[in-house]
Amino acid sequence: MDSILNAPFVHDLVTLFKPALFNLYFLLLAVPFGFPLAVLLALGKNSKNKLLSIPASTYVYAFRGSPLFIQFFMFYAITLALNPGVWKPLGISWLMIHPLFIGPFVLVLNTGAYAAEIFYGALRTIPKGEIEAARAVGMSKWQEFRTAVWPNMLRLAWPAYTNEVVFLFHSTTLVYFTMPVINEQKDLLNKAGELFEKDYNLFLHFSAAALYFLVISIVIFFVFNLIYKRLTRHLNVDVSLKIKPNYIR
Amino acid sequence: MLEMLPQWLIDWLGPDGIASLAYITNGKHLSWYASVRYTLLAACFGAILAVVFGLLGAAAKLSKFAPLRWIGDIYTTMVRGVPDVLFLLFFPLAFEQGVEYLMAKLYCKPEEIAAATGWPLCQSAQWYLSTTEYMVLACFSLGIVYGAFAANVIYGALKAVPKGQLEAAHAFGFPSREVFWRFQVRQMWVYALPGLSNVWLLLLKATSLLSLLQITDIVAWADRLGAPNYSPLAGLVHADWRWKYYLVLFIFYILLTWFSEKFFAYLQARAGRGMARAN
Repeated sequence: MDSILNAPFVHDLVTLFKPALFNLYFLLLAVPFGFPLAVLLALGKNSKNKLLSIPASTYVYAFRGSPLFIQFFMFYAITLALNPGVWKPLGISWLMIHPLFIGPFVLVLNTGAYAAEIFYGALRTIPKGEIEAARAVGMSKWQEFRTAVWPNMLRLAWPAYTNEVVFLFHSTTLVYFTMPVINEQKDLLNKAGELFEKDYNLFLHFSAAALYFLVISIVIFFVFNLIYKRLTRHLNVDVSLKIKPNYIR
Repeated sequence: MLEMLPQWLIDWLGPDGIASLAYITNGKHLSWYASVRYTLLAACFGAILAVVFGLLGAAAKLSKFAPLRWIGDIYTTMVRGVPDVLFLLFFPLAFEQGVEYLMAKLYCKPEEIAAATGWPLCQSAQWYLSTTEYMVLACFSLGIVYGAFAANVIYGALKAVPKGQLEAAHAFGFPSREVFWRFQVRQMWVYALPGLSNVWLLLLKATSLLSLLQITDIVAWADRLGAPNYSPLAGLVHADWRWKYYLVLFIFYILLTWFSEKFFAYLQARAGRGMARAN
C-alpha cells in the first residue's frame, strides 16, 4: 500500500488535486451564468425585431469568430485600463482585476455566444406543429414559450450543449495563461508546468493532468446524460450521449 | 518615408494625423505587422498536416485490422477528454526531449550521464531551438490535434459516399486499394467540406496560442507594444495601451473568420456542382 502511495504518478495526482479545483471553480461559475445569457442571446437572435436580432447575432459572431485566448487578454487589459479611473474610486478594484473574477466573467461571455448558436439552431428546428397547436388552443405568448418552445429547444440542443460544456471546461486552462497567478492559485496546467520545470519529467506530469481532465470530462458527460434522459423521458426511446466529437465548435 | 505622401494627404491628416501615422509605422510596429506571417504560415501548414493526419486517422478507423482500428479510435477520441492546449504544449516538448535523449546517447560521456541531475543529461545534448524549429513543431502539433477532429469529419464523409459508386467501381474490376483512394476519397470531399470548414476555423483560432511555444507572434508583439512605455528622455510615451492592441487582434481574427467562411462557401458551391441538392 505504501509503495502505491509513494509512486510518482499517485504523488502527482495528490499534488494536482487542489489545482483541479480551480479549473472546476471556473467551470461551475461559468455554466450557471452562461446558460441564461445564451438563452437570451438565442431568443434575441431568433427574434423578428431587428433591434434585438442584429446586436445578438453580431455579439455571437464576434465571440465565436475570435480566439478565447485574445478575449481573455483583451478583457483583462480593459479592466486594467479602467482600474485607475473607475474601479478604484468605486472601491471594487480588488474584485475587478482579480483572475478569479475576470476568468469566469470572460468564460461566461464566450460560452454565452457558443451556446447561443446551439440554442438558436435548436429554436429553428422546433417542430412547427407543436407551436401551431399551442396557438390553436389559444395560449398566450408566455404559455406558448413555456410549453412548446422551451422544452423542445432544451431537448434538441442538449447533446451539442453537453459538448460545449466539456469544451468550456477545457478552455478554463487558458485563464492562467493570460492572467497573473496570485499566490498558490494555480490551475492544472500551471501546476503540471511547474512540476515539469523541476525534474523535466514531461510524460509523468502531463499525463497526470490529462487524467484529471479526462475524468472530469467523463463526469460532465455522465451528469448531462442523466439530465438528457430526463428531458427525453416522454419520448420512450433509449437515448444516450456518447463521448464522440461534434464539429460545431 | 512619410515625406513621400502626396501633399493633399498630408494636409488632410494634419500634424496630429501624421504623428499617429509615423507612430503606427515605426520599426516595432512594422515587426508586429510582419509577425502575422507566423500566424498565417502555422494556420496553412497546420491545416495541410491536419488533413494528412485526418486521412490517416480515418483510414485507420476504417481498417479491417482491429489494432489499427483501435489506434484510430483512440486518436480521434483523445481530443474529447483532454484540452488541445495540453497537447499543443506536450508534443513540441516531447519531441524536443526525444531529440535531446538521442543526442545524450550520442555525445555524452557515461560519467556525465551518471552525474546528471536535471535535463539535458549533459551540456552538449542541449538543443537550442530557433523560431523556425519552433514553428515546424507548432505546425506539427496543430496538425496532430486538429487532425483528430479532421479524422472524425473525414470518417463520416467517407461513410456518406453512396455505396453504389463503390460497388460499381468494384464491378469494373478495380482493386480495393484503388476503390478507396480513387473513388471513396475522391468523392468524400463534398461531404467533408462543411466539417473541415469548422475544423479550419478552430485551427485558425488556435494559432493565437503560438506565443505559448516561444514564438514572437502577433499576440506577443501586441503585449510588448501595448505595455506602458517610459523612456528616460521622453518621459511617459504612453500609458497601458494593451487593450487597444488586443482589440485590433480581436477584430483581425473576426475578419479572418469572415474571409474563411466566404472562401469555404465558394468551395462548397464549387465542389457541389452537379450534385442533387434538397433546396
